[in-house]
Amino acid sequence: MNYYMFPGTGIFGGIKVGFQFCDMLAELGLPILAVTPDGQAPLWFPSTVAVIARSDFEAAVSADDSVFFSLPADHDWLAPLPARRIFHCQGTDPLIEPVIADPALALLACWPQAERFMREKTGRPVSNVGISVSDCFFYDGEPKGDTVVAYMPRRGRDIAQDCRRRMRRHRFEEISGLNESDCAYAMKRAGWYLATAPGEFFGLPALEAMAAGCLVASVPVIGGMDYLEPGFNCLLAPPDDLPAAASAVTGKAQAARRAALRQQGLATAYRYRRSRHLRLLKRQIAGPLEELVSWK
Amino acid sequence: MEMTIVIPSRGLAALLTACLRLLHVALAEAGISDHRIVVVDNATPHPFASDRFGPQVEILRFDVPQSFSHACNAGVRRGAAQGCRHVFLLNNDVLLHPRAIAEMLAAKQAAKAAVSGARLVFPDDTIQHCGVRIGGPRPIPYHEHIHTPTPLVSRRLRTYQAVTGAAMIIDHALYDELGGLDECYPFAYEDVDFCLRARQKGHRITCAQAVDSVHFASMTPGRFRHEDESRAIFEARWAGRCTSDTEEGLYKC
Repeated sequence: MNYYMFPGTGIFGGIKVGFQFCDMLAELGLPILAVTPDGQAPLWFPSTVAVIARSDFEAAVSADDSVFFSLPADHDWLAPLPARRIFHCQGTDPLIEPVIADPALALLACWPQAERFMREKTGRPVSNVGISVSDCFFYDGEPKGDTVVAYMPRRGRDIAQDCRRRMRRHRFEEISGLNESDCAYAMKRAGWYLATAPGEFFGLPALEAMAAGCLVASVPVIGGMDYLEPGFNCLLAPPDDLPAAASAVTGKAQAARRAALRQQGLATAYRYRRSRHLRLLKRQIAGPLEELVSWK
Repeated sequence: MEMTIVIPSRGLAALLTACLRLLHVALAEAGISDHRIVVVDNATPHPFASDRFGPQVEILRFDVPQSFSHACNAGVRRGAAQGCRHVFLLNNDVLLHPRAIAEMLAAKQAAKAAVSGARLVFPDDTIQHCGVRIGGPRPIPYHEHIHTPTPLVSRRLRTYQAVTGAAMIIDHALYDELGGLDECYPFAYEDVDFCLRARQKGHRITCAQAVDSVHFASMTPGRFRHEDESRAIFEARWAGRCTSDTEEGLYKC
């Protein structure tokens, strides 16, 4: 059996990325269960993975099993268990360095920057198992408000406020606490998406916004530079400069430029379609992961 | 033994006779000769005579109405000798396609599943069941594509969170491991509960899509009397504990 450890079910990208990974492994024929502290399942995105409580996992786990985890804090309590342990890296926070130093761990990365980071730190092989945007985000022709700006206030609210002051003719819509479907609905109707979390490891929402046809204006991020190409598919500026950079692309004279940035953003997001991710994972399962995962 | 078939029935003898006749055809088509058929007479007002359905069919009689779960579990205990590979729970109002059992076993093998359901249609050729989806914070199971004309629904094999117990083949070892259907359910949802518990053990659930069998559905008198009670038990047990299949069923934050 394969198990994936989750710290909870809240609205955090890492939870969704982990469940997407589980869903795909199941689709590829592997037995897999999600493990949450109390057996609760997340209900803010669709999934078909069965969920069990951590206590049930601890009672059942054996040496034939494989255990995936992505939260560094899980490393210590999983260490004494008999199963194979696999670190599914979703961010290159320095907190992971003592974790990836454990030679008993197999290492997986969700994107190239994380793959390079772990390879450089450990000198060990790292498999990139990919990440994807849910199909519901892809723009499919809904009416789009060119002056509607979506943003997530959890990190960088002040940056968004500064942008609001500079972009007075625009309507700012906060995306907070929404389930995936409602979030996609909001993004598909917005013309802009502000990514205001400096140092974000990947920034899946910005990529989802590209899929939704938004013009993404972002602060510099870490792993997200894998897909952000400033001036080609997004606007990129330091936090203090973002309001000016964004407002410079407003107005009728810039309409063609905005359209071009949205088009390129959408094209970029297509590289992260679920079907493509599934093919990548299928190759990895047939290759380097074959010995790591449990097949029964 | 290859298979134990359990059919709970309260009355509906004529329908049950037709059900059994087609069951024999489907068993022969699947090449299953080593089997036992147990009809659980669940307090039929005029009890079924022991030879009513022929020598190959055993009758297990309850004088007082029992829950569907209890009837099934008792039937399985009666019929499943040591070494029985499969348990087949079948409703008395299901008319199996001749290839239904063969397809269910093939689907089960292809999907590496421990439980296989069957594609069922109403007499008007619309879908009654081709897999169960679950949506929402109150985990509401529903039959995917119900009332859609069957030619319009894909026959691609896939896995589900649950299938209906109206026609369900289960590994006997799993049935034993889980203690059968949970008898806390008066009538309804015990099949979905069983599938969800099986999934928590890491088993897969599939549904044979290749052929359609007819299911009249809910023919038993008083069928809906305990529905609300069963639903309340199901919700109390599974609320927030199973994932939502569909975007429509997502929790509205």
